[in-house]
Amino acid sequence: MTAKAAKSMEVIQGRVKTFPERVRREKRGGRKIVGMTGRFVPEELVRASGAIPYLLCRGGDPEPVEASLPYMHRFLNPFVRAQLGYHLLGMDPVVPMLDLIVAQCDDCHASRLADLMEYLRLPAFRIGIPPDWQKELSVRYYAKGLARLKGRLEELTGRRVTEAGLRASIESLNRVRTVLQEIGDLRKKENPPIGGLDFLRLNHASFYEEPDLFAAEAASLLEALEEGPGLFAPDAPRVLLAGRVVAVGDYAVPRLIEESGGVIVAEVLDEGVRHCAWKVDEGGDPMDALVETYFLRRLPPSIFQPSWGIRVRHLKESVLGNRVDGIVWYQLAFDEVYDMEYAAVARAMSEMQVPILKVESSYEYARESTGPLATRLESFVESLRAKRRVGP
Amino acid sequence: MNRDVCAEFLRFTGFEESEIPGFLPDFIEACRALNLSEADVRFSVETWIPSQFDTELEGVRRGLGCIVREAVDLTRTPRYKKQGVKLVYGILPAMSVYYYALKRTAPDRVYVAFPDLFLVAFLQMFFHRLNPTLEIAEAAGMSYGCRHCALNKARFTARRLGIIPSPDISWIWGFVCDEGPKTDEFIQECFDSDWRNYSTRLPHDQPLGTQEDEVDERVEYLALQMRDGFEQVQRVVGISVPEEKIAEAFEIRQRFVEKMGELRDLLTVDPPPLGGVEAFILGMPRDMPFNTGLEPMAEALEQTLKDVRGRVAAGRGVLPRQAPVLMYEIIPYCQPWLVKMFMENGVGVMPGGPTQKQLQPPRFEDPYMVAAEAWLKGSVTVNAGYKADQICERLLRYKFDGLLLGFLDFDRWLGSDNRLIARMVEERTGLPVFYVEGDFWEDRDYSPESLRTRVESICEILKMRKAG
Repeated sequence: MTAKAAKSMEVIQGRVKTFPERVRREKRGGRKIVGMTGRFVPEELVRASGAIPYLLCRGGDPEPVEASLPYMHRFLNPFVRAQLGYHLLGMDPVVPMLDLIVAQCDDCHASRLADLMEYLRLPAFRIGIPPDWQKELSVRYYAKGLARLKGRLEELTGRRVTEAGLRASIESLNRVRTVLQEIGDLRKKENPPIGGLDFLRLNHASFYEEPDLFAAEAASLLEALEEGPGLFAPDAPRVLLAGRVVAVGDYAVPRLIEESGGVIVAEVLDEGVRHCAWKVDEGGDPMDALVETYFLRRLPPSIFQPSWGIRVRHLKESVLGNRVDGIVWYQLAFDEVYDMEYAAVARAMSEMQVPILKVESSYEYARESTGPLATRLESFVESLRAKRRVGP
Repeated sequence: MNRDVCAEFLRFTGFEESEIPGFLPDFIEACRALNLSEADVRFSVETWIPSQFDTELEGVRRGLGCIVREAVDLTRTPRYKKQGVKLVYGILPAMSVYYYALKRTAPDRVYVAFPDLFLVAFLQMFFHRLNPTLEIAEAAGMSYGCRHCALNKARFTARRLGIIPSPDISWIWGFVCDEGPKTDEFIQECFDSDWRNYSTRLPHDQPLGTQEDEVDERVEYLALQMRDGFEQVQRVVGISVPEEKIAEAFEIRQRFVEKMGELRDLLTVDPPPLGGVEAFILGMPRDMPFNTGLEPMAEALEQTLKDVRGRVAAGRGVLPRQAPVLMYEIIPYCQPWLVKMFMENGVGVMPGGPTQKQLQPPRFEDPYMVAAEAWLKGSVTVNAGYKADQICERLLRYKFDGLLLGFLDFDRWLGSDNRLIARMVEERTGLPVFYVEGDFWEDRDYSPESLRTRVESICEILKMRKAG
């Protein structure tokens, strides 16, 4: 990475670290802070209301998962359990400052998190996401949910969400998506100037920054990366990372893939990243545009039904479009829907003769767990490299 | 297969002597289809059923027989399909009235059932022989370590082994779990592209404590979802169900619920005249459609009421007098040994029975609204706060000594709120709540021996509390 690119990355990551302090200042100044879970709560709406959004999306540590046990049973996925656990352990400085937490209820795991927020008297506001998404009935349900959310945000902030304000917010976040997409696309190069780990961290950083500031700094980064050299070995296997989520802080698997000599050139993740290929329409009614993009146009998450046929097709296209050598399916423990989806994906990949490795995590990254994980990922990357040498 | 052993099995499960010769060939064929050997049937007759169920009562035997009839009927589905009968499957939990309405409209032209349920119930309740079925699904991708629901695994296996054919439509309900509906997508994507399914979902987005049946907007949405799903079923199978058939099926269901309430009231007698497992089994057709109809179980329930009143009159019970009794909302009838273990230690485990609200007449006239409202009065299908309210109501009404939770570890909805509910119920009633991790359907991980010490400890605590 060039010095200019490294500097840009440092600035962006540095801002993430100061997020809690900035939030504290803003809160003292009277601004409302709104937490959000999942992928269906439009950040545009929160920002248009004048509030600061905070995405609850941390993971990768075992203690918060354990801390949730007095309230949750152990067969919920560790990501959901962690969102509560960080708060219970006092490890999330932002949650106590939240004026509202918009909790998406799309699956059982996420809905239970909303239950516990209410039980613990956190200011939860649920938004129901019907997984039978292709019905008009379900689309209307989601639209109604967004309208209720808009009203609640207006009530909270005392500021009307105007059409112009919402449109400006949409445009601003579309700029973030555009620049992130352009940075991500640099990985289509034979030797990418940025890897998947840095790209994921960049994505995460974009959630904790004012969009215009982020877009400006990310544009500088893009420019520097375009000028810069590739960072990986010429024969580095190209890996696609797929699954539910790589949470903020849960970097063990992407790091190990790239430390093993692979490069993550694409992701198909349902949460924790911006789905940059799908911009929100800037014309027309902005509330309708949010519904259209957030609920209908994006790649449906695994919980939606039907979705696996569409998702497998998308994965195949991503494999071909990014010249992917192999897939790492990153699954969270006890995530039952993804566990079943893996079988469908593995079958399709076998037909394409694309190797796939399933890695399951309960966020136990102690040395005794990381060792075998590293060995598996190293072997997988090595086998992809060998396959590259031999050719198809 | 020894015919005498099979005949004995049928006798044990309430079949009339006169009907056994006619039923026997189908029963033997069903055993063959389900990989049950003569040794399995012998074990069931000689060891398992007598040790697990109160077969002294005719009503109980007949109730068990209703399940046997359904399981045997399930294995006839390939034949039904060839004959042009339309096959409509579903999954638990669901509102059974639509399936009954369909059946009442065209009894000979349609087969309705939740195939996985009868497969699991038959194999595990009567033979303790479910595991091989589950292993087939696990090998195909529903991995063991992820703790998938045995019902979903059994549905996959039933199709994989050809026990059941592709349905005309599987109307799958995702009002509770995600895995149920997604399993149908799994079957379709990974094994049988003809597995046509239609899902009906309801987001879990009600704040804790909301009395969901009183939120008209929610009742309306659910009614629309039910209508949408049922219209799709009718379109696919080409059978048009008049709305009065839905109303009729609902009324029958409601009368059945009232009868269950009568039985529940009798269980409060000291000493309790019947165990929790048997009482729960008799209520099965309320929430799961029987292709052979609800009526045979209603008759078994009526007979059980008579039998139980006889026991009450004679002062006989299944527990010592003054024995502590725990409430358990959904008795794990596929693991009858659990309740027996409590009983052996002098503690009863009984279902909560219907809530006061469930016994009230509906607020609406439209049959879909009526069904939706009934669903949202459900004591296991609503938000955890409302659920806790309903549990507290019955804990206090029937003077239970505590609450037992657990055995739903595979269920990310029904099981995942247990710890939260335990807190809420304890806070509100001061009664002890015990959470036991386990599995409702299968016992590979949670065998009797692994739970014995815990059960014994709970029983000791309860007896000490009761003694003051």
